[in-house]
Amino acid sequence: MSRSFLARNPSILVFLACLALFTLAVTMLAPATGSGLISTSFVKTLGKTLCLCLVALAMDLVWGYCGILSLGHFAFFGLGGYMIGMWLMYARTELIVVESLSNAVIPPTPQEIRDAIGSQIFGVVGASDFPAIWIFAHSLTAQLVLVLLIPGLLALVFGWLAFRSRVTGVYLSILTQAMTLALSLYLFQNESGLRGNNGLSGLQNLPGISASQDLVSVWFLWGAALALALGYVLCAWVVSGKFGSVVRGIRDDEARVRFLGYSVEGYKLFIFTFTAVIAAVAGALYYPQAGIINPGEIAPIASIYLAVWVAIGGRGRLYGAVIGAAVVSLVSTWFTGGLVSSIPLGVYTVNWVDWWQVLLGLSFVLVTLFAPKGIGGLFDLIARRRGQ
Amino acid sequence: MSTLLEVSGVSVSFDGFRAINNLSFQIGEAELRAIIGPNGAGKTTFMDIVTGKTRPDEGRVIWGERSVNLLKMRESRIAREGLGRKFQKPTVFEDQSVHDNLLMALKNPRGAFACLFYRPSRADRTRVAELAQEVGLEDALHRISGELSHGQKQWLEIGMLLAQEPRLMLVDEPAAGMTLAEREHTTELLVNLAKTRAVVVVEHDMEFVRRLGCKVTVLHEGSVLAEGSLDHVTHDPRVIEVYLGR
Repeated sequence: MSRSFLARNPSILVFLACLALFTLAVTMLAPATGSGLISTSFVKTLGKTLCLCLVALAMDLVWGYCGILSLGHFAFFGLGGYMIGMWLMYARTELIVVESLSNAVIPPTPQEIRDAIGSQIFGVVGASDFPAIWIFAHSLTAQLVLVLLIPGLLALVFGWLAFRSRVTGVYLSILTQAMTLALSLYLFQNESGLRGNNGLSGLQNLPGISASQDLVSVWFLWGAALALALGYVLCAWVVSGKFGSVVRGIRDDEARVRFLGYSVEGYKLFIFTFTAVIAAVAGALYYPQAGIINPGEIAPIASIYLAVWVAIGGRGRLYGAVIGAAVVSLVSTWFTGGLVSSIPLGVYTVNWVDWWQVLLGLSFVLVTLFAPKGIGGLFDLIARRRGQ
Repeated sequence: MSTLLEVSGVSVSFDGFRAINNLSFQIGEAELRAIIGPNGAGKTTFMDIVTGKTRPDEGRVIWGERSVNLLKMRESRIAREGLGRKFQKPTVFEDQSVHDNLLMALKNPRGAFACLFYRPSRADRTRVAELAQEVGLEDALHRISGELSHGQKQWLEIGMLLAQEPRLMLVDEPAAGMTLAEREHTTELLVNLAKTRAVVVVEHDMEFVRRLGCKVTVLHEGSVLAEGSLDHVTHDPRVIEVYLGR
């Protein structure tokens, strides 16, 4: 990443500056670090929004740049959340168990502690033994590696099978939907070892850290902002230069790229896996702020929302994806949070929690029909005005 | 003259229709060859088979001095072996600049990681400039190729083909949609190129083929009907019948 790379892409610096200003402003307004003008729950909402921006970035790379309409990237996001959630839940339960057993006359054996943690975590699904997949749950380092590894491997295997068979277009989209649906249904089972429909909870409590949620929320906001900044620069670097040329070529005319001698499948697999890992990192930062993850999070509709954000924000430009995710998810929080009063129409009351979906669907259709470049296209208009 | 490409006994059917029927012929190391034939004679299918897009039902396609079987390779592998193809409709990446199109085609490692860390060397930059000059696009180097005229797109695609440095160029109707001056330039270029590599031109336009002044293969119903100089084949009664007897 040479200096010339940043010099050639001034929009990156603008983006980073905006992100830094935003983070600074939130820090100055947050209860723990500033004036307290905004609530901790709103700081968490903003922190989560930054994570959604990061996964939207991944979606833009795979769809907007490479032309693969993956409707399964939220599966990777959720898996990242599960991987970090396992450690958070294990380590916190361990602390509670050790403390409650410390008053016992005979000091507990490690096996007793482990059993007690097991029954604490899995009692809810009628089990007490640790499933094999929890083997590394005691180690933060191992689970952090798994955050990258498990979604990355899933994407690699899925992508290899799909791209090798030259599955493209709508067929690939359906296949990715099937993947996220299958994963979600599997995790709903109690036997999956991840507590079935209960999911993993209490993730907002960081084990061994006594800081208040007021402060933790700001830490996570910083973490999410840093991840978004790094992700943005990394994605911008990947799509610049010859690699970016080839990837956009694949989007526009796959066969032509093949006849130039490029192995299209390899490039697609790279992009698919790379974006899956970015999505997983975003998920691993999101769920500790949300506090809970359950299989409903990776239902097929979640991945479709992701595509809607990117489409509304503007495909094929990284800041478009970020703007789309931020605007749509914040407006969605506003509408569904019960803050907007319903409109009574006599015989029928417009309830925004339900009607927001209609509004979102309508805006998606309108953007697709009349502004295919999305919100990001406005920047082109401004640039053109200035050029005249 | 040694053989570069040998097609022998190739047949392919689509839904019972025999597009290529026991087709056999050879192309030498540095040869200019024109392939003509009426619509549906199998010209495009022949190109699809050689470049790996279509798998034939039977037959062999043998390439180069090591006599490798092209039928076992994927399209991208065949392209890296040195087979370049120019499409009938100009296919360039319209979203990208002339420079980026040429740079992508330039003969360099094709792997994903190689491209990720690729920085154009001085030699590469010079080569791109040379190619642009050769196809008359030196002033349009930083224009988006979607904005180019039809003829310019044809030229850009020829430039991309040159950048690949293929040993065999398959050129599908290069003169389509070109002005007279552009045609002359194209003829000159193809004749020149054929001095160092094999060039196969698929063409409808007899006048253009005459200008190329090379050996001609006439395809009909998926197999070779006649082969020889243009005068020779145009006096062949079977060729006359195929072209005029309908």
